[in-house]
Amino acid sequence: MLHPAYDLSFYEYDDDRDLKGYGVLLCDVVHGRPPMKPLYMGLGWYWYYHGTRYGAEMLSLPTTHGWDSRFVNGYPYITTIRTTEEEKKAREPIFREKIKPFIENFDAVWDPLKEDLLKTYKEAKESRGLREWQDIQKLSNVDLLSFFLDFAYIINRKEGEVHFIMLIASCYIAGLFQQMWRDLFGIEPSVDPAFSRAMGGFGNQITEVTRILWQLARRAAASDFRAVFENEDNAQILKDLAGTESGRQWLHDYHAFLAEHGWRSDRMHAYDTPALVEDPAYGIREVKMLMPQEVFSWDVELDRTIKEREEAVREVLGRVPEGQRGVFEVLLKATQKANYWIEDHTYYCDFYIGALGRWIVTELGRRFAAGGCIDDPEDIHFLHPNEIRKAAIPMGKINLRPYVERRKEAWERNMTIEPAPVLGDGSQAQAVLRSDPTLSVSTQIPIVREELKADLYGAAAAPGCVEGVARVVMTADRLTEMKPGEILVAPGTTTTWTVVFGLIKGVVTDGGGALSHPVIMARQCGIPCVAGCLEATAKIRTGQRIRVDGDRGVVYIMDR
Amino acid sequence: MKRYAYWLDEVGQGDLSLLGKKSANLGEMTRIGLKVPRGFAISLHAYEDFLKQTGLEGKIEKIVHCLEEEQQNIDQFISISEEIRYLIESCEMPDNISSDIVGHYRELSRRCGVADPAVSTRSSGPVSRPGQYETCLNVIGECDVLEKVKRVWASSFNPRSLAFRAGNRLPLASDPIGVAVIGMVNARSAGVLFTADPNTGDTSRIIVEANWGLGESVVSGEVTPDIYVLAKDGMKVASRTLGRKSRCVSLRQVGVAEEDVPDDRRSVFCLSDAELESLAEAGLILEKHFGAPQDVEWAIEENTPLPQSVIILQSRAAVLPAKKDTVDQVVDLMLKWL
Repeated sequence: MLHPAYDLSFYEYDDDRDLKGYGVLLCDVVHGRPPMKPLYMGLGWYWYYHGTRYGAEMLSLPTTHGWDSRFVNGYPYITTIRTTEEEKKAREPIFREKIKPFIENFDAVWDPLKEDLLKTYKEAKESRGLREWQDIQKLSNVDLLSFFLDFAYIINRKEGEVHFIMLIASCYIAGLFQQMWRDLFGIEPSVDPAFSRAMGGFGNQITEVTRILWQLARRAAASDFRAVFENEDNAQILKDLAGTESGRQWLHDYHAFLAEHGWRSDRMHAYDTPALVEDPAYGIREVKMLMPQEVFSWDVELDRTIKEREEAVREVLGRVPEGQRGVFEVLLKATQKANYWIEDHTYYCDFYIGALGRWIVTELGRRFAAGGCIDDPEDIHFLHPNEIRKAAIPMGKINLRPYVERRKEAWERNMTIEPAPVLGDGSQAQAVLRSDPTLSVSTQIPIVREELKADLYGAAAAPGCVEGVARVVMTADRLTEMKPGEILVAPGTTTTWTVVFGLIKGVVTDGGGALSHPVIMARQCGIPCVAGCLEATAKIRTGQRIRVDGDRGVVYIMDR
Repeated sequence: MKRYAYWLDEVGQGDLSLLGKKSANLGEMTRIGLKVPRGFAISLHAYEDFLKQTGLEGKIEKIVHCLEEEQQNIDQFISISEEIRYLIESCEMPDNISSDIVGHYRELSRRCGVADPAVSTRSSGPVSRPGQYETCLNVIGECDVLEKVKRVWASSFNPRSLAFRAGNRLPLASDPIGVAVIGMVNARSAGVLFTADPNTGDTSRIIVEANWGLGESVVSGEVTPDIYVLAKDGMKVASRTLGRKSRCVSLRQVGVAEEDVPDDRRSVFCLSDAELESLAEAGLILEKHFGAPQDVEWAIEENTPLPQSVIILQSRAAVLPAKKDTVDQVVDLMLKWL
């Protein structure tokens, strides 16, 4: 039977047809939690899984035509569109040639694509005479609609396609390397400290941006106006800063930072959380988190992690039989690059495009609300892109409330529903994950080892062991609650959570595999992490003492 | 008088064009102190002079000439091959050539302290063409040696050799080869050794394939031999795989015969670790001396203590798979993994 979710023709899960066709679908908790709203499904999500299909065809992937996706209660479930044996044979020789450049020189592929993306974003703004966030209000309805359509069908599509060509290549390279590691050393690499060390010691663009903000924060901490930041009200802080000469100077630099690097929001492609550049008060919460961090932990850790990486690589290479060493080394280098890319690309892909979407959608929402079509500007997230297109001109003439109301109701109900991790035959999950390594970015299967008698088993880990007080944080806007030296327990983390990594002692997450943000960031910061435990946020309560064993990839709850 | 035969211990690599590759190599191996069977080499001139002096040269030219005119097919190769080989094998060897060969055989008998020592006659072409020519095993007595030398010469006209020469636009009427006449080893076990993995090109390992009896059963690939892998680093046996070893080749009164291997011998390894290590050492000496991975034929002589029992019969550059680009190897792995 069909499970309707907010008038999503084509996307609803049909447990007869879909299970017959696909066997199993896996919940994407990394991108789909909290449950998605219709606009997210129709824009960001749509072009992402278009990206998987585009990438699969461009690279001629032998085993898959990309992802398919269905929704249950607003939660996305993904699976792979598998190729036939004949297709596989025909695609292999083409794949062979297409994947080689990524293995040979990953950056040589990525650098021009990156430049092209940045150019696309810049031109989209400049060709319309837009600079500041507020400038978009000056566009006529027609120009705003054309911006929306360009975004929806050209810019977003382009980003999705580039994004997934790179992501697919990264996952294939890293996935193969992990398999080789398993075969050679008989240990799961994602919970092997030697693997983690061999992958560490790379900075990235997000770290660079965070360093700039940290420098601003430290300037504030050392200033005569530092007391201003003690206020709970971030908007008031901005007002108070404007009251003094030195405060104004700081604000000036802060605004310059936002104009350049503030094109990002917490839930990137969902467009329903504010971008830093949109609301300067919003970024103050990051400044507050960075102010007490006397050292920038990445810089401190970098020398150590580079040294550790070099030692780990030497030690590991010594264990590889000579005949396989050449292949291992090439694959190791490519995997280091792929790992680095996974962390780095967010800045150029998800962040920027997410903020552009946020910008356009927010302005359309504002006009719909002002024109009486919807009650609240943020209600626009309950509309489908085609409805927005049709109602945008003439502005204010269509009553969109009936569409919004019932979908909003459904979404609010969905918020209380816990998604099933798997639909269909769970025993097929491994085979599906194997035929499409890209799926492992969004899904994870904990590696349960009964003999360790742990409370939680991770799917991946960053090395080290730590015991401390847990704090469960469900969304990025609650990160300010974290106290220095606590252990973060979260559904998952994305790059917007990066600021807190210098403050905490350890990380435990529900989602994420070896290539996930929490593992990569924890590794960079030299703190233990256990990711992909599935039920960390359900089992651990704030205030409990927990032991995070990143060397084995397990978590113990010390007091109950 | 023109000389046609040379002792292996008086020749070396420099004599390749005179004696052919196999003889020159056997001489070279003797020179560097490896244990090679006693024997002598017959030069390429013997082949040439034999054809000239007997007048066979002209006859063969005529026969192959008509072949060149027509469309070539395998039936023609077979029929002219039979014709030419019959001419060669039935033609008496001129005295000046046969007396040199017989003289060396008699001296070999004296050196071995055996009347009519058993020998093998093996082709020794100036370029290596494995499997194209004939090898005669367990040849005993002057007359038989002369017959079998002619048979080796005649094998340069077997259908395979003719077809190869035709395909490579080489002269059909003559393909001078030398012959190595070497003492027969009463092999308990024998086989081949590669100083690199012939499947992967991995040069860190030594691969040994072995069976009971003479090495021919392993070289021909007719049985599943025992397979041993040694790591060059440390020179220890890294793995051994028991082969089915269903058949083996052993010496008869004259010639050799294939026979079933008794069950109790199939189920045990035909080489000891000490023998393997000795063999591997010899392999490394050869690889170092010739400067490239080697494909070595060897035998372990029955009732002889180590290390004297380890005898090298032949060594040549191993044919390794063209080393694939590392990135290609990575993609191979990736396709296998998906």
